[in-house]
Amino acid sequence: MEDTVEGRLEFQKTEAHDISLLPTRLLRRPHMLQLIAGGDQPRTISLGNDPVTIGRSNSADVRIMSADLSRQHAMIERTAWGYRIVDLGSRNGVYVNEVRAHSCVLRDGDTVQLGNVVLIYLEGN
Amino acid sequence: MAFFSRFWGVRGSIPTPGKRTYRYGGNTSCVEVRVNDTLFICDGGTGLRELGNDIMSRGGGPITAHMFFSHMHWDHIQGFPFFVPAYVPSNTLYIYGTRDGDKRFHRLLSGQMSSSYFPVDFAALGGKIAPADLGVHGTKAIDGVQVSCLRVHHPGGSYAYSFEWNGHKLVYATDNELDQMLQDKEQPVREPNALRRLPRDLIDFCRGADLLIADGQYTDAEYPSKVGWGHARCTTVVDLAIQAQVKELAIYHHDPMHSDEEVDKVISMCRARATGFESDVFIFAAREGLEIRIDRD
Repeated sequence: MEDTVEGRLEFQKTEAHDISLLPTRLLRRPHMLQLIAGGDQPRTISLGNDPVTIGRSNSADVRIMSADLSRQHAMIERTAWGYRIVDLGSRNGVYVNEVRAHSCVLRDGDTVQLGNVVLIYLEGN
Repeated sequence: MAFFSRFWGVRGSIPTPGKRTYRYGGNTSCVEVRVNDTLFICDGGTGLRELGNDIMSRGGGPITAHMFFSHMHWDHIQGFPFFVPAYVPSNTLYIYGTRDGDKRFHRLLSGQMSSSYFPVDFAALGGKIAPADLGVHGTKAIDGVQVSCLRVHHPGGSYAYSFEWNGHKLVYATDNELDQMLQDKEQPVREPNALRRLPRDLIDFCRGADLLIADGQYTDAEYPSKVGWGHARCTTVVDLAIQAQVKELAIYHHDPMHSDEEVDKVISMCRARATGFESDVFIFAAREGLEIRIDRD
């Protein structure tokens, strides 16, 4: 065997590592909404286990300054079937891929429209 | 006080799980209709299992459900043995026949739960599961909701149902080979762009619906090789919606061979046809997990 890096590696013993220390969490991307129109875009809203309200009120978890939004316009919650958006009784409604929905389980790439505010739902990994 | 419908299963014929059907869903026919606290269920395909699990998670007291079946083909009943509320002694499920004293659906539903088909016998279900019917004229008020039925065209027979409350109307009309109900069955080939005339009783049944949920399983290209299988050209469903002046049309009972992208193409074809007739009916694909408020205007 030639005295090359490849040659030396072939006869070397495998080194043991504690793989729990490797930063795999950094590779994980959360499910998210990307604001693409009607507000202070570009903006990304990460989704976790807790419900998130969207509206123009100070008390909304995600505040988007748009006159088209109700104070508490919609809520996103995690369910057994995936993230679900629910209309909280808004004036201008919730549209998923152009369909007026009271609620809808979201799928990767869905377009969510709240008045003139447009968001894209992206699934993480 | 509100009137909602939610899709729990939108596929026809057989469940189709997997990536290619991820967006619209792979469960077979099941739609929940809620008017205030009254629960109606249309069909018991595999989507019914999901609905049952959700009902159990909602909490509250004993459940009463009014169950309406279009017919008893597998893709409309296979979820029933897995419907958890049926196993709970305090719950009551009414299985509706379409005419006075008609217990056929109750009998057939129980038949699929015998040892040759399923390990749990129908008699072992803990809940009260009772036959009911829509009376002599096929229409009945249930908690203030007028429920009516109409026989449509499908091998072995099938029924459409309408739910009317407070000036709003939802029609559930799946497994209906509209093209065999046309006054001129050759017209779609001879004059594909002409409006296809449908029977007056069917148009009247759907007239003015806020939402029509209808079987649009085949494209125009697919239909000629599927004649007699009991499902419609999607474009003929559009013609029904136009003639009945329906506000929104949900294309339903998606073909198991259609991927999400192909369902999108079906919707594009349907919308193009509606535009061609200058109709403002809004057309979309039914998808699992989509809930529509019917009385929003």
